[in-house]
Amino acid sequence: MLRVPLHKALSLPNLRQLSPALRGISSTPVQLEKIEVFVDDKPVLVEPGTTVLQAAAMVGVEIPRFCYHERLAVAGNCRMCLVEVEKSPKPVAACAMPVMKGWRIKTNSDMTKKAREGVMEFLLVNHPLDCPICDQGGECDLQDQSMAFGSDRSRFTDIQFDGKRAVEDKDVGPLIKTVMTRCIHCTRCIRFASEVAGVDDLGTTGRGSDMQIGTYVEKFFLSELSGNVIDLCPVGALTSKPYAFTARPWETRKTESVDVMDALGSNIVVATRTGEVLRILPRLNEDVNEEWLSDKSRFACDGLKRQRLVAPMLKNENGELTAVEWEDALIGVAKALLRAGGQSAAVAGGLADAEALIALKDLLNKLGSEALCTEHTFPQDGSGTDLRSSYLLNNKIAGVEDADLILLIGTNPRYEAPLLNARIRKTWIHKECDVALLGPKVDLSYDYEHLGDDTTTLKKLASGQHPFNKKLSSAKKPMIILGGQQFGRQDAAAILAAVQQLSQSLSSSNSDKEWKILNVLQQVASQVAALDIGYKPGVSAIREDPPKVLFLLGADEGTITRADLPKDCFVVYLGHHGDQGASMADAILPGATYTEKQGTYVSTEGRTQQTLAAVTPPGMARVDWKIIRALSEVLGESLPYDDLNGVRQRLTEVAPHLTRYGSAENANYFAQAVELSKTVKAQLASTPLDVKLKELQDFFMTDAISRASPTMAKCVQAVLKQKTSKY
Amino acid sequence: MASRILSQTSLKFLRNASKVSRQPAAPFSVGAVHSDKIDDELKKREAPLVPVDSMTQTHPHQSGVTISVTGVEDVGVISGVPEEHIKNRLVRICKPARNSMQSGSANTHHWEMEFESRERWENPLMGWSSTADPLSNLKVSFASEAEAIEFCEKNGWQWFIEVPKETKPKVKNYGVNFSWNKRTRVSTK
Amino acid sequence: MATVKAASVVTRQVRPILSLTQEDSRRRVLALYKAWYRQIPHIVSEIDIPKNQKQCQEKLREEFLKHKDVKDIRVIDMLIIKGQMELKETVTKWKQVGHVMAYWKDTVNKKPTDFLGKFLDGKD
Repeated sequence: MLRVPLHKALSLPNLRQLSPALRGISSTPVQLEKIEVFVDDKPVLVEPGTTVLQAAAMVGVEIPRFCYHERLAVAGNCRMCLVEVEKSPKPVAACAMPVMKGWRIKTNSDMTKKAREGVMEFLLVNHPLDCPICDQGGECDLQDQSMAFGSDRSRFTDIQFDGKRAVEDKDVGPLIKTVMTRCIHCTRCIRFASEVAGVDDLGTTGRGSDMQIGTYVEKFFLSELSGNVIDLCPVGALTSKPYAFTARPWETRKTESVDVMDALGSNIVVATRTGEVLRILPRLNEDVNEEWLSDKSRFACDGLKRQRLVAPMLKNENGELTAVEWEDALIGVAKALLRAGGQSAAVAGGLADAEALIALKDLLNKLGSEALCTEHTFPQDGSGTDLRSSYLLNNKIAGVEDADLILLIGTNPRYEAPLLNARIRKTWIHKECDVALLGPKVDLSYDYEHLGDDTTTLKKLASGQHPFNKKLSSAKKPMIILGGQQFGRQDAAAILAAVQQLSQSLSSSNSDKEWKILNVLQQVASQVAALDIGYKPGVSAIREDPPKVLFLLGADEGTITRADLPKDCFVVYLGHHGDQGASMADAILPGATYTEKQGTYVSTEGRTQQTLAAVTPPGMARVDWKIIRALSEVLGESLPYDDLNGVRQRLTEVAPHLTRYGSAENANYFAQAVELSKTVKAQLASTPLDVKLKELQDFFMTDAISRASPTMAKCVQAVLKQKTSKY
Repeated sequence: MASRILSQTSLKFLRNASKVSRQPAAPFSVGAVHSDKIDDELKKREAPLVPVDSMTQTHPHQSGVTISVTGVEDVGVISGVPEEHIKNRLVRICKPARNSMQSGSANTHHWEMEFESRERWENPLMGWSSTADPLSNLKVSFASEAEAIEFCEKNGWQWFIEVPKETKPKVKNYGVNFSWNKRTRVSTK
Repeated sequence: MATVKAASVVTRQVRPILSLTQEDSRRRVLALYKAWYRQIPHIVSEIDIPKNQKQCQEKLREEFLKHKDVKDIRVIDMLIIKGQMELKETVTKWKQVGHVMAYWKDTVNKKPTDFLGKFLDGKD
């Protein structure tokens, strides 16, 4: 790398003369012409600046690579992508070299083949031959590419009997297992850590065959996205610790599903064998999670096997929960419901699917009750939940990439929605977008302007008197993200109203009418669907009018406790884990987790997606909506659907977007919401804005599944241990 | 005795049918082709010798004649698949996702159909995976989604389709690692 | 969402299997039915099954009526061919008693068909 010191470059006289002209060119956007290149004699038209590797990909030619990754910076150090370009004396590194007009790229010529064989030989000289005991075996880039592009014989003879290079393994935490001898120094993990995760812990030391990847000092690699380096590693140097020696990729069945551990709805692939979830991997979805996955979504899957409710239970005369048959459980609950005579209520938790939500709502409505609530609140003043735009991330997750100024209010996206934070960081790096935060000072993995955590700042912002308003109004595409946690405050309505007014004043002066400024980041996967279906946010209705029968649909956050309910209240817990909800229940109806049912979830951006059943519910557990449907029949109030199609038709009746899978329905009526918000009487309280998840140890255990997961518990331990370390 | 009655009756109905269609006799099976001399044939130990060209010429399937059919053909009833595995199954049609552990995109360029998963368990004898679902291992590949849909319709399965998200190529630039005034500058190496 | 494409009402030209017209296939079906019907007395007398002629006739009728809604000539032809094969297997006693009795499914436990029954019965 050749760099001219800045003062030297500036002192060059001709450069000074050139610079105004250069500026003139850059200020007028010129539509650059596409250039034609030939990949293996196939012509392709590409944008200028396209690399050889990308141009080849356009005609379906895949050039082998180790260090290059689409979502990371170009490193160009593995040399596997060397290809021949006609009239070039040396092979060219395809990943870093932009194409020139008329280039003839030969990806299969003798020179290319020889270059690949040479590179492969060098890589294998110091790579152990331990594929049979390597966890990457079967899904290893080095394995595949040495078969496809390597030489068919070895020149490696260990005459001195001094063995291959060996590197000591590193302990980088409870999630990543390292076998550093296998490392081929592609530096993908380093680039991921510093670019995407924003944790500059990984790096290289030494040169040549003494080069090592590591953390410099003895330290855990702790990040909410750390698991992704396992995927990125093209060899078996970084593998999954919880999954170590568990299965080979060809033994497992892959089910493409959706994650529910946060409100983003990351796309996942669930790998199963013999009715057991073994691991969860990300699935590419450019609009949601790109190809990353947060550690909680990836590693909490061992919580799916623990603390499960596997049989229906009823309290016996001694007040102890005992396992019973389904008939008895259904009859027991039905009796209580009939006794209650319409005085029943329900609380839906964060992991409930839309099918269960609609079935429960239909059942309770039939029984004459309207008290269906969600655990997470939302202010009912102003437009309340009537206008969808006030509770969605309207700009979509991918929309973050177009923003030039992001204002975060009362949220810590790094732990509430790690992949949204990764997007913000991506925009911050590549688009020079600025970020400001109103709320407690937390580490977001990028620099931001901290506006304090005072509500008076919000008031000033809303009325346009804060110095930051100038920045906001000068931004072309500002984006305001309001944390859903703030709705739990007493003055939630005032906060929402202030944010709505601020966004509206910005959007009225914004030239781009399609650009949406107001964004709400929900906390849990079920919230948007529940509000769309018509659940009341928050449990205040239940506190005010305590029911005789209370349904907890996976409600485990303890928003309602026994103390809030009358003594004779019959609590039915319908869910999958023995957590807070089950501990206060009189009857337990075991349900299915998100890997065990085909369920609909609406993400915080309003995107409807469905999970697919990878395994069947354990023991006597059943799919949630079927339990409710069966209960309705026992009650003599049969719900009018008895298969998945039927439930989904009902969902379509209620809200058509609930069955348009994969698409995110836009919401509107911002101006109307603002008009209604002016009727809000509540005043901003003086308590500072706060968030629950401030540091990494808060991130891992947030719901019934992750609380039951031993891996997540180990992660918390590791973070705490790291804190005591001197590094 | 009984077999004689069968051969005579089946003979008759074959002949009758073929008369109506004004086509040469339509044979059902090799055994029935030379049914005119069935009694003689039955006495023989070996299978009757059938002149090949007589078969090809007489078979309406190969005679070049076409008939018109309306609507989607439903081969569910003749596929031998039990009814409960036709009516209650839901097929997912998709392009398989790339394994995020690897960079190559092979095996992701076709469409696939798969059934919803039913219960599987570990076999106590060998520890292998057991299932009571005969269709659990049926995974058919297609070149296009239309073909997959047609196949499902033909077999009477309900299906839904998952359209994969296309990815746009991003601009990659080696130089940004070293830009002195941008955030893309590489900090760790 | 589970979707079923509206059955495309396109008329296509296809190669026939046996029959060229609807009338043609109908005649074949009736012929097969008659062949079976006439065989029933022999089946009852020669194969040791606990069924009488009447029951066999009812079963025969039931098996044919199962496919009464099939319209596609080629599917009908295939069913005729399969029926013919079954008949031949029965007559030549390639089918044993158990195979013949399989038409009645006496030993198969009926699975519940209503929602609650299925719910209590198992996972489905």
